[in-house]
Amino acid sequence: MVKNAQVISMYWLTHIGLIFFLYPADIIESTGAGHWIPILVGYSIHVVVLYVYLKGLRLADGHSLPDILAMAGRHAAAVLLAPVFIYLTLVLIITARAYGEIINLLYLENTPLWATIALLLGIAAYVASLGLESMMRTGLLLFGLCLPFAVFVLASSFQNADWHYFLPVMDERSSSFSFLTAQPFLKSLFAFGGGFLFLGFVQPRLHYHHRKLLLSSLVLLPLFLISVYVPILTFGQNTASTFLFPFLMATDTVDIDYLIFERTTLFFMLSMIVFVIIFLALVLWKTTIIAGRFAKIPIKPFTAVWALVLWLASLQLKDWQNVEELLGWNTYFRLYIMFVIPFITLALGYRHARSKRGDQTYESPS
Amino acid sequence: MNHLLRRLFPAIAIWLIILPTLSGCWDNKDINHRALPIAMGIAKREGIYVVILQIPEPGLGATKIRIVQQTGTTINEIVDRMSKNMESQVDLLHLKVVLFEASFAEVGVHDIVETFMRAHALSPNTMAAICDEPIDTFFHNIEFYNKNNGTVLINFFEKNAGWNPHIAADRIWELYRSMRSYTRDTVVPIIRSGKGTVIESRGSAVIRNGRFVERLSSDETLLINVFNGISARGKIEVMDHATVQIIGTSIRRRSFIQNGRPILTVSVTLKGSLVETRGQPTIDQIKKEIDEQLTVRFEGMLRKLQKENADILGTGQLFRTKYNRVELSHWRTDYFPQLRIDIKFNSIIQNTGNLKAQAQ
Repeated sequence: MVKNAQVISMYWLTHIGLIFFLYPADIIESTGAGHWIPILVGYSIHVVVLYVYLKGLRLADGHSLPDILAMAGRHAAAVLLAPVFIYLTLVLIITARAYGEIINLLYLENTPLWATIALLLGIAAYVASLGLESMMRTGLLLFGLCLPFAVFVLASSFQNADWHYFLPVMDERSSSFSFLTAQPFLKSLFAFGGGFLFLGFVQPRLHYHHRKLLLSSLVLLPLFLISVYVPILTFGQNTASTFLFPFLMATDTVDIDYLIFERTTLFFMLSMIVFVIIFLALVLWKTTIIAGRFAKIPIKPFTAVWALVLWLASLQLKDWQNVEELLGWNTYFRLYIMFVIPFITLALGYRHARSKRGDQTYESPS
Repeated sequence: MNHLLRRLFPAIAIWLIILPTLSGCWDNKDINHRALPIAMGIAKREGIYVVILQIPEPGLGATKIRIVQQTGTTINEIVDRMSKNMESQVDLLHLKVVLFEASFAEVGVHDIVETFMRAHALSPNTMAAICDEPIDTFFHNIEFYNKNNGTVLINFFEKNAGWNPHIAADRIWELYRSMRSYTRDTVVPIIRSGKGTVIESRGSAVIRNGRFVERLSSDETLLINVFNGISARGKIEVMDHATVQIIGTSIRRRSFIQNGRPILTVSVTLKGSLVETRGQPTIDQIKKEIDEQLTVRFEGMLRKLQKENADILGTGQLFRTKYNRVELSHWRTDYFPQLRIDIKFNSIIQNTGNLKAQAQ
């Protein structure tokens, strides 16, 4: 089945859900001026990695990522997939915890944290247990439903922009790329590295045009820029760097007389949280797929138990500091996901393509 | 059938589990058990905060206004204590105006504004103003003169109601921004209770780093609004010859550094309509007088601001490419006092109202 719309909307949605909360704060922290440089660097890394990954997948005849890694042998696949599994698990724990906290902070002040996290993980686990096709359809539907609000808020968020804050265009820190190895920039990569992996998991059940997907990533670039520059233009670097969620603060300052609702931010945040739930479902589903390759387990009960384990784990984090720390540790796994996995996929894809051409009798192990 | 039940079971189970959480009903309080104040007055006397809330209470016929006063060491503590003493919970979500007592603003509102931004209890769009008399007197007076109308204070600042271009407009988030910014201070309107009118405007306050440092007259405030491009339909009295209503303004600004001194050339084109004349002034005479008068007024104001190192015009913004960030962080102290602004007003009397201009 060729399902470009589903895959592309899922690709957008998972990234959009991640961009607008923690990403702007990390970028604003990473440099004092010329924020477009770290944004563009992150984005170019994303596109290169995406290109390599898709190329690898195509060379390997559209097998799924676990199948491709299995071409290197069963033990090698286990070694290669273990960090992926750990990474995805950490992503689940961090995301559930962080967004649970965000929901508490923004809407449900009196609701205990365990309840909001249970809500996030519960819905995600349910959606994940329904399987790939329904998850992708849900994604497409929700994306269509939430898009108008998101576009409206994004457009209106420029209301208080003072374009002088765009200047200076760069300074020594940003033009010398010294931010590259600093923690805030590495942490900001989670917005680029979190979402693309699923493209290898949906194959071969869902096909999509790799070129179209690569082109569709262009849509994300303005969103990355907006998420950082709206707070910068509204508040200036000095003030924006004091916020935990700079973009939300900037949209909070928007004042539109003719709207019935005083705070457009609420709708925007609701859409974003819906997107994050889908993102959680997708990641949860990926972990069950990986686990399913190494142990014979019934998928649905496993998803429920696994969600319960994640829920308990995310409640073990004491405070926001812990969340940030965990996000910091996860950087190493993220670098592995972003640089090792795509290139290994490419290498195995080449080997697969060559062996198919050279030796017709060769059978790839499944 | 059995198959269908088996498929539906997890959906129903999950639905039942998340239903209670979805409602967010922990300690939920109904809207009729919430008090939604619309104005807050804050003063600090001998290290203790005094907070007054103006809470409209919808009743039969007319809306009553209730004034609640409480003291304490932090704003949150005070609001909590008010909630404790009242029959409903105080919720600051719909607060529209925060009034700082002048003597408190002179000491600094830094902490309060930071609390407001951090706690997310009230909208960052809440208007900020300074009250030129003890806030208890102010709230007592506006209640006394204006029974049964809780919206007077809001309407006074509302752009599409009572607001006037001679009044500064400033919001909590702008105040917060000015506290942190290297290159931008802000102005906040000053009010007090009036006699005939409920509220009387007393010009505006220059706030530098969260402290009230200087006063500006209403005319100077208009000039600032013109400079910042929000001058919609202000009126200028020209000597004793005429009154001109501003229809539109356009500003060109150019910044450069000469011999280490920042220089800004500004040319303001002011389009106006003649609404009143006294005697027989010619159009050219009026134009010349407007230009001269505004230049003199602007320069007087600039001197005042430079003495206080308060850059409310945001001129530092225009030098962002000329200085690096380290230099900009000293903008207020090192560069702004030396700044020379060559301002040129160029007024155009676009029309003379319903009457012809004086025949020459």
